[in-house]
Amino acid sequence: MEMIYKVSVGRCIACGKCELACAFAHGSEGRPARTRINILRRGVELGTPVVCLQCHDAACVAVCPTEALVRNQRTGAVDMVRERCIQCRMCVAACPFGNMLWDPVYNCVQKCDLCGGEPRCVPFCPTGALTYVPAEEAAVRPEPLDRSVLAGDGR
Amino acid sequence: MPNLTIDGVTVEVEEGAYILQAAQKAGVHIPTLCQFDGLEPWGGCRLCVVDLWRPGWDPDWFKMVTACNHPAEDGVKVFTSTPRVLETRRVVLDLLLARCPETALIRRLAAEHGLPATTFVRNPEPTDCILCALCTRVCDHIGVSAISSVNRGVGREIAPPFHQPPPDCIGCLACAEVCPTDCIPFTSSDRQRTIWGQDFEMLRCSQCGRAHITVAQADHWAARTGVPRSYYETCDVCKRLHHAEVFARLTAGG
Amino acid sequence: MRVDSKAAFERLQATARERAGAHKAEVLVCCGTGCLAKGSKGVAEAFAGEVESRGLGVSVGLNVKSTGCHGFCERGPLVALRPSGILYTQVKPTQVAEILEQTVVGGKVIPRLLYKNPVDGTRVEQYAEVPFYKHQTRVAMRNIGRIDPTDLLDAVAEGAYAGLAKALFEMTPEQVIEEVATAGLRGRGGAGFNTARKWRSARRAEGDRKFVLCNGDEGDPGAFKDRSIMEGDPHSVIEGMIIGAYAVGAHEGYVYVRDEYPLAVVNLTIALSQARAHGLLGQNILGTGFDYDIRISRGGGAFVCGESSALMRSLEGKTGEPRAKYVHSTDKGLFDSPTVLNNVETWADVGAIILHGGSWFAAMGTPKSKGTKAFSLVGKVKNTGLIELPMGTTLRHIIFDIGGGILNDRPFKAVQTGGPSGGCVPEGLLDLPVDFEKLTEAGSMMGSGGMIVMDDRTCMVDVARYFLNFLVEESCGKCVPCREGLKQMLAIFDDLVAGRGREGDIARIERLASAMQLGSLCELGKSAPNPVLSTLRYFRDEYEAHIVRKACPAGICRELTAYEIVPEDCDGCHACFKACPVNAITGTVKELHMIHQDVCISCGACFDVCPTQAIRTLPKAELAGREVS
Repeated sequence: MEMIYKVSVGRCIACGKCELACAFAHGSEGRPARTRINILRRGVELGTPVVCLQCHDAACVAVCPTEALVRNQRTGAVDMVRERCIQCRMCVAACPFGNMLWDPVYNCVQKCDLCGGEPRCVPFCPTGALTYVPAEEAAVRPEPLDRSVLAGDGR
Repeated sequence: MPNLTIDGVTVEVEEGAYILQAAQKAGVHIPTLCQFDGLEPWGGCRLCVVDLWRPGWDPDWFKMVTACNHPAEDGVKVFTSTPRVLETRRVVLDLLLARCPETALIRRLAAEHGLPATTFVRNPEPTDCILCALCTRVCDHIGVSAISSVNRGVGREIAPPFHQPPPDCIGCLACAEVCPTDCIPFTSSDRQRTIWGQDFEMLRCSQCGRAHITVAQADHWAARTGVPRSYYETCDVCKRLHHAEVFARLTAGG
Repeated sequence: MRVDSKAAFERLQATARERAGAHKAEVLVCCGTGCLAKGSKGVAEAFAGEVESRGLGVSVGLNVKSTGCHGFCERGPLVALRPSGILYTQVKPTQVAEILEQTVVGGKVIPRLLYKNPVDGTRVEQYAEVPFYKHQTRVAMRNIGRIDPTDLLDAVAEGAYAGLAKALFEMTPEQVIEEVATAGLRGRGGAGFNTARKWRSARRAEGDRKFVLCNGDEGDPGAFKDRSIMEGDPHSVIEGMIIGAYAVGAHEGYVYVRDEYPLAVVNLTIALSQARAHGLLGQNILGTGFDYDIRISRGGGAFVCGESSALMRSLEGKTGEPRAKYVHSTDKGLFDSPTVLNNVETWADVGAIILHGGSWFAAMGTPKSKGTKAFSLVGKVKNTGLIELPMGTTLRHIIFDIGGGILNDRPFKAVQTGGPSGGCVPEGLLDLPVDFEKLTEAGSMMGSGGMIVMDDRTCMVDVARYFLNFLVEESCGKCVPCREGLKQMLAIFDDLVAGRGREGDIARIERLASAMQLGSLCELGKSAPNPVLSTLRYFRDEYEAHIVRKACPAGICRELTAYEIVPEDCDGCHACFKACPVNAITGTVKELHMIHQDVCISCGACFDVCPTQAIRTLPKAELAGREVS
């Protein structure tokens, strides 16, 4: 079953839990790595998540000199084979959406690979703005978020 | 799909795989120095030697081969820690330690093989370069070939042509990053990058001035891949900002 | 005249033989590199000039020919006469007129120019009776010394390309391979790999583009057989390669000639263009529709480029580094295509094998090493030169019967075979029949055929050091065991010969040797320890003397050896005084001379010239405590 990572921008409340989840999932010994999902905050409880779109004709894959970026058929993501990365940062420059990230702490490139099929950010998103769904559901528009409920029980 | 045994563990590997991949699958560690996953195996450091037995041979007849580039053949038995394999590795490290007595990686590997110091004549001019050729190989792989190995035998070294700043270099730092002993120096900032005695202009983001790659890199990859130069003109942060606004607009109201 | 059919080839042969037969007499002047260095070009020119001015071309039907290497380099410049069969040695241009008048026209022999047997002093008139030649069986070198290598018709008259005609007109490619298999031909470059098996692998390999190459790199110090073949009979190589290409299905070929053989390149170039002009090479060879052409590629001066995978990289324009041997070059060689690479001598044998049959070749030699082999016999032997003998000939026969024994009748010590990959064979093994297996068992190797004879004035530790020094410079440097191992091994040997040997050095040497043999990438590194290991095997006492007593038993290593004059034997002839380069000797004529130890550099020049053997060597360590006056 082909899965798709679906971002519903209208439901994002810019809480940043996904960023934390991602950073700690890929760091080690308590040192968070550069998060692969970034929320661009544009107002109170208004945010736009920007994350790898796992492009079918990816610019990052095209420019990687050592074939360190490869499509994973099972998860649908473009995986990064870390042993092949030579940190030349061409992918960082080439990605049209800016979703290849340079991590100065770990001195490497970070990209979202949907955590191998169980994206860590999804369970942490309180509003369901981030979902990992079967491909058929990708086009289904989400319910509008009832923002009046938010301030209440802080789900 | 060949089936073979590594230190008694049987694994099945893809057609065309090498013994090293079979060992990885079997969970057996074989030390390497000149091996890098994205590049063709080179077989120059000789650290990954193993003893190979082929069906039809006497049970105590082996051939010592390098795991990195010897095909994983169906039915063979591989032994990664026979006394003569370990001794050969030890001598290889002993020799490297004589050449590079102050290099951390070699000292660590040598110590792991029971060698606190070299038994040979210490290099009067210690170097960090272990001549693994990873730098030249990656440079060839990306189609630039700015540096190569020069001179043969003991005089062998890695250098640009005529020891001059290499005209073909694109300043991608691949050589420096792939080097296992970090012996290729460089400086890099948002403004300028310097490596092999050559200065490179950085491709600065048209919005914020941050830079990841050089102008030469951008030109090289635009020509080589068809990913247009315009993609590189803004940095990742600015791209994310821009597209966040686009996404927000596109999904407004929902 | 382009040969495009069997009949046309036979006509070419007839023309060639007719032309050769028109000459009633011939003067064959050796113009191989060795004799050229001794001035044989002047001899050839003198002959040509004298023949012209005397009109001997017409009156006697005399033809003067510059040929390739006759082989007896020690006695060059060599001049052979036909039909009389007389051989004149060490000929000078000033003797040419006399030879023409006395021998060619007058029919009289000139005794002082004949070969003189060093054992009994007799003069030998006939080329075929000279011991050096009498015992030879020349297959690869069959025409060298008989033909002008720059004249294709001359070669054809002596049988060149007859094997090719037979192969193309009468045999299928599989039959050609069968014939070579019957012959039992093994590579003559050193490895001794079965040639038919190599060709079969290449024939079966997938791919439309295949190559047939010739390895003319000949890097072993002391070997020059390939040079002589390429210079003296390039047609034998070309013929062999075309037959091989036909057998394998290749259409492109190269001869890789080392850069240091300019005459070989010149003669090969001439031969190739003549072969093409006659339809023997290139498109539609002999009118059979088979295409194959050969180009020459020159080396850049690297011994490692004689290694087959390094040679192919060099041909591709890359640095000459060997590549992993797990992919056979018969599957993926030059430009990743199936490739056959054989040595010059191997190719030179092929034409004769096809013409006379594999069984003819297999009738010579030993069960596992069939046929003949060319050897370059050099060193401390009286008759240095190039010879070809059946496999299985003993070392004793080669060195003493053909070689005439040791120079100055000094005692034989060892013979080094196989170049830097080979080893030293001591006196006890002189009756070893020379073949691939026997030499390997003895700790040496056939190699390219170089045989360096050594007398008692040779230090075996120094010999090993010599080869290590050579290899250190020639290692490509790709792999650690060879590049670093040779360097460290040489460092140990530099210490040994200078008196800095330590307890445990032999164990250190053996540990390094083992790692190099097992761990090196190519045969250069794997066989580099051979000279060391074989000298250790047979002359371990010399190593121990160097280490323990700081002495060189052979009296060669300068830092360990002193020279002194034995008073009883000195007759004051003053020869040593004149020979000494540093004026370390004092003495007046007819009086006892003396060597001053504080000035003497132990070069041994005095030792070599003393007519009464009044000078002896002793370990420097023994000098301590003596008075130096």
